[in-house]
Amino acid sequence: MTNQEIDNKIRQAFSNAAPDVLDAVLTECASQEGKVIVMTEKRKVSSLKKWAVGIAAAFVLCIGGTAGFRVYQANYTVASTVSLDVNPSVEITVNEKERVLAVDAKNEDGKNIIGDMDFKGSDLDVALNALVGSMLKNGYLSDIANSILVSVDNNDPEKSAELQARLAEEINKMLQTDSFSGAVLSQTISSDSELQKLADKYGITLGKAQLIQQIISKDTRHTFEELVSLTINELNLLSKSGSITLDNVNSVGTASDKAYIGEKKAKAAALSHAGLSESDITRYTCKLDSEDGIIVYEIEFCSGGYEYEYDIHAVSGVVLKYEKEPDEDYVAPDKPAEGDVQTPDAGTTPDTETPPDAGTTPDTGTTPDAGTTPDAGTPPDAGTTPDTSTTPGTNQVPGSNQTPNGGHHHRSEWHHQAQTCVGETTARNAVCAHAGIAFENMTGYKCEQDIEDGACIYEIEFECDGYEYEYEVDGATGTILKYEKEYDD
Amino acid sequence: MILHLPDEQESGTNSNAGVLDSYISRIVTGDKEALALLYRATSASVYGFALSILKNTQDAEDVLHDSYIAVYSSACTYRSAGKPMAWVLTITRNLCLQKLRERKKMADVLPENWETGLESRREISEDDKLVISECMNRLSDMERQIIALHAIAGFKHREIADLLHIPLSTVLSKYNRAIKKLKKYLGKESKSDDKSGN
Repeated sequence: MTNQEIDNKIRQAFSNAAPDVLDAVLTECASQEGKVIVMTEKRKVSSLKKWAVGIAAAFVLCIGGTAGFRVYQANYTVASTVSLDVNPSVEITVNEKERVLAVDAKNEDGKNIIGDMDFKGSDLDVALNALVGSMLKNGYLSDIANSILVSVDNNDPEKSAELQARLAEEINKMLQTDSFSGAVLSQTISSDSELQKLADKYGITLGKAQLIQQIISKDTRHTFEELVSLTINELNLLSKSGSITLDNVNSVGTASDKAYIGEKKAKAAALSHAGLSESDITRYTCKLDSEDGIIVYEIEFCSGGYEYEYDIHAVSGVVLKYEKEPDEDYVAPDKPAEGDVQTPDAGTTPDTETPPDAGTTPDTGTTPDAGTTPDAGTPPDAGTTPDTSTTPGTNQVPGSNQTPNGGHHHRSEWHHQAQTCVGETTARNAVCAHAGIAFENMTGYKCEQDIEDGACIYEIEFECDGYEYEYEVDGATGTILKYEKEYDD
Repeated sequence: MILHLPDEQESGTNSNAGVLDSYISRIVTGDKEALALLYRATSASVYGFALSILKNTQDAEDVLHDSYIAVYSSACTYRSAGKPMAWVLTITRNLCLQKLRERKKMADVLPENWETGLESRREISEDDKLVISECMNRLSDMERQIIALHAIAGFKHREIADLLHIPLSTVLSKYNRAIKKLKKYLGKESKSDDKSGN
């Protein structure tokens, strides 16, 4: 039997049992209309008595008003604001007695967890319990995303700190479930009109805005806009991975990274993309990071005179971006620095170092799909640093993947992985055909693969016969989208 | 007095709130047809709620009567906030509490007679008597009031919390406990009915 069926049975039974007294009601109402209320004559009150009564009344009003104001203040004035952020963001305002005055959802997820619950007048503890319970029930808090931020705002710093500690402890207890343990970040906050504007703009609580601001003040690579879409679990992971110490934020528990592929798989994806094996690389580092609001494994390593930097999608393992550029600290094994025996990636000999040895460069700076690019690059200016410029038109070896363009590293800039791209070679051939210039005659050749509005684009630049060429090639079809040709003055 | 009235009871609080509001507005002008319409739409909720508090059919009937008299005489004080049913049931609750106070003063009156009061009424089916009996016997006072407000008046839990001045969490837990008990006992009855039917 369902709840609805029971409700129906009860409704039916009481409806049938209710006696019909309508006639009696209507009759009595009719009789009431004819009733005459007898007005008794008022006795005259002396003016002295009136004054005494007036003064007494004023006194009572004064006392009553003060008491009433205090009662009103205790019951209806916001004493503390407690905000909860997971991805749902909700803000609870309570009075002095910690009775809930209002619970406001700051985003759609917040509305979902509040549902039709009305917390007005209930204890803060009850509201907190119900909201966290709803987050658990709706899967916003789980073993793959276990972090919650609780922020407390009270004019009295001591009260703020006490409430912060108490609520964090209560929430932590609630998150000690059979399947996972929670990670609770807690902080006290204070009004900040500028930050409040940002919080309102992005539909988050002031607490989350303060946390994001702290992170970007410690790691300036990030922007507020980029981090605002991240969940508290992601922000927690980000700050831990980047070793960011958040002032005034108390942290209990460990943020879950179970939603992600793990460092091992991310590393394997990067090595596979680079065509390298574990033994080929040195100076390896890996950390979780955010790129345009996407959590990635940022992997860096060196090999064969190049520095590699990868962003691997933390959930799918797809290579989102990679960068490969000559390692300025690289010293070829057979050409050690003067007075020092160098390993390929040890030490720095900026003035004497040799550019990457062609023979040791398996994929010398080309994009992954530039399969036809010759591997055997000859150092254009051996004995100088890769940065040492040669002027355009000098005797470079186009296609050698070294630095044909003076002033430019032959560098695979940030490349975005896209399934539908035709490949750099096809794009380059289209440009060669369009410009009527053989690839061998180009100098300063540079190709960047980018994603614009979800479409793969190749941006190709080169110089030839005193002109600068800039092309945009459709990565899906290999057709020329845009080109510019300017005299290189 | 003969009035043509729709034979329906209010089943929810929000769906008919506008209609009930309009009845009360008309009652202010002395419109008895509007009072009759309000009565038809809400009397089961009023009686069920009163019986759940008083556990005395005669007292519940008195309160049912007095509630509509009070509605008629104080309709001008009603300020619409989209909750006409809450207003009516607040009147009912206050009258019930008044009755309970009177009972305390008159200790010689048998306080709870719902069983004998229902027994004598042959127009009520045995099934309905059984359901009322389970509600009266199995549930605590507060559970019974919550169930009456939810099942008969169609109140949401937060509206019940407001009316009874108790925390929402209490309403939720007591409602769940009550419905569990009723499932157990009413479920047993319906199973035994099925078996005897077979």
